[in-house]
Amino acid sequence: MVSYIIRRTLMAIPLLLGITILSFAIIKAAPGGPVSMLMDPSMKPSDREKFEEKYGLNEPVHIQYFKWLGNMAQGDFGNSLIKRGVPVSELIMNRLPNTLLLMLVSTILAAIVAIPFGIYSAMRPYTKIDYTVTVGSFLGVATPNFWFGLMLIMVLSVNLGWFPTGGVSTLNAPFSLWDRIHHLILPAFVLATADMAALTRYTRSSMLDVLKQDYIRTAMSKGFMEKKVVLKHGLRNGMIPIITLFGLMLPSFIGGAAITEKIFAWPGIGSLFIDSAFQRDYPVIMALTVVSAILVVVGNLLADIMYAIFDPRIEY
Amino acid sequence: MTALLELKNLKTHFQRRKTTIPAVDGVDLVINKGETVALVGESGSGKSITSLSIMRLIPSPPGKIVDGEILFNGNDLVKLSDNEMCKIRGNDISMIFQEPMTSLNPVLTIGEQIIEVLMYHQKMSKNAARQKAVEMLELVGFSRAKALIDDYPHRLSGGMRQRVMIAIAMSCNPKLLIADEPTTALDVTIQAQILDLMKELSKKYDTSILLITHDLGVVSEIADRVVVMYCGQVVEEASVDDLFEEPLHPYTNGLMGSIPSLDGDVDRLYSIAGTVPPPEHFPVGCRFAPRCPHAFDRCRNEAPALQRKGSRSVRCFLHDDKEATV
Repeated sequence: MVSYIIRRTLMAIPLLLGITILSFAIIKAAPGGPVSMLMDPSMKPSDREKFEEKYGLNEPVHIQYFKWLGNMAQGDFGNSLIKRGVPVSELIMNRLPNTLLLMLVSTILAAIVAIPFGIYSAMRPYTKIDYTVTVGSFLGVATPNFWFGLMLIMVLSVNLGWFPTGGVSTLNAPFSLWDRIHHLILPAFVLATADMAALTRYTRSSMLDVLKQDYIRTAMSKGFMEKKVVLKHGLRNGMIPIITLFGLMLPSFIGGAAITEKIFAWPGIGSLFIDSAFQRDYPVIMALTVVSAILVVVGNLLADIMYAIFDPRIEY
Repeated sequence: MTALLELKNLKTHFQRRKTTIPAVDGVDLVINKGETVALVGESGSGKSITSLSIMRLIPSPPGKIVDGEILFNGNDLVKLSDNEMCKIRGNDISMIFQEPMTSLNPVLTIGEQIIEVLMYHQKMSKNAARQKAVEMLELVGFSRAKALIDDYPHRLSGGMRQRVMIAIAMSCNPKLLIADEPTTALDVTIQAQILDLMKELSKKYDTSILLITHDLGVVSEIADRVVVMYCGQVVEEASVDDLFEEPLHPYTNGLMGSIPSLDGDVDRLYSIAGTVPPPEHFPVGCRFAPRCPHAFDRCRNEAPALQRKGSRSVRCFLHDDKEATV
């Protein structure tokens, strides 16, 4: 197992290098640049050159890449070009906790709603309850997050005034847990709906498959009640494919919430990603790319490790 | 001999859209204490549905026991609540299945799968149940039971898994063991071992066995009495000796004829003409009439009843007393 993890980690290094090369090339190929975003149009070309020289933007692309790579290898992601002088790592660390909190809460919310519904649907397939759950989850999948978020803001925040329209907390107010939760509810709920819907479908089909297996009949023949059979003998088998889903969801913790974060003015990584992409803030984009690439690799590795824990037939 | 299990006119029907499929259509069957009864028939004759009906494990919907009684020690299992049935399943009546490869839960250790039954039915402590589980594994022939108990099923071969299934099924000393084609998926040498094991255990614990099979070789090896089913009905019932000596029903005769024999030099193996009709298209008269070499007019218009003939019974007009006098 340990040697498997080491092997996988080593295999990830060329993969990550490839990802950085590609994303560096694509960003540089995109028209425009940080200079045109920042500079006053009336400024002289010499000022522009001075800026480019200062940040090394006049050098050939591959030199820029190697410089960036060298710095990154030493843990230095550089400074933001737009918010001048602010280190990228500080920028990310300021926002990361917000995103993680939001994603964690919404994922847990999605799981605790979706898994029981999925299991129940599978236990009583093709009944009214199953059809209701199915229709509900298709609605959830089909509803765009941005629209749903905006509707909730309009109805619940603007019209009814039950929830704040955005942000993590009330500005300039002292810290209060309730205030934080109050701000968290809507964005977490919006994010959870899409995951919830997909997860319900996955759980249903996986459990439906498992409940047809011979060992479920064996468990029934032992005299256990249906509930115990499903939870003890079915669920552990049914969760194996769901683990993959969670592994694949992990990287979306960084980018997946971008639109929802934007709508709810949630100062997280996702909105930072979008902003820096529009402003051509190269160091920030690259740092976030690397972080999400690492998360993809880690997520897959975690899923594989979880497989081995859940399924004794798998050995590494 | 007292009856342990008695099926009276058992009818289990399945509902497919608007049509009713009479998979089991009025089965009478008696199993005495300590007796091994073989239930024989082609695929689709309703033998497995009969056994699942006894366990009350018919998937419902679409299946349902629509009529009849299943008397187990005098109690009608059909009338029991789900809760009461759960106390009997795995405890008084247990079951082993055709597919040992897939009948054990792949993510639980072998020990866990035996221990859970003991803790549930016998209210044993975990340690006592573990102790008993080791004993059970030794009983079914595992010499290194202590090591095996923490292993997962995928490490075992089919024959070994069927032994584990038997250990699970026998762990609560059931009064009746239902074995649904327990050796069909195993190779021949292992088949014999499994049959021997079942025979030995049934003698030791005075357990009755209902053996479902289509293999008459298996029947002659282990059964005391044979019940032959065709199209959801019992067509013949006799002791193993009587049946092999002189099969009365033409269907049984056909089944016997399909066994290859060592001394005969036949090129083609005998087979019963035609196929089992699907339950929604059963013939009006005798259900075997379209395939029967001896069928006459009455067979096609009138359904024969199961009639007693001394110590045995048969559902056929050829052996009808009235016909005999004509």
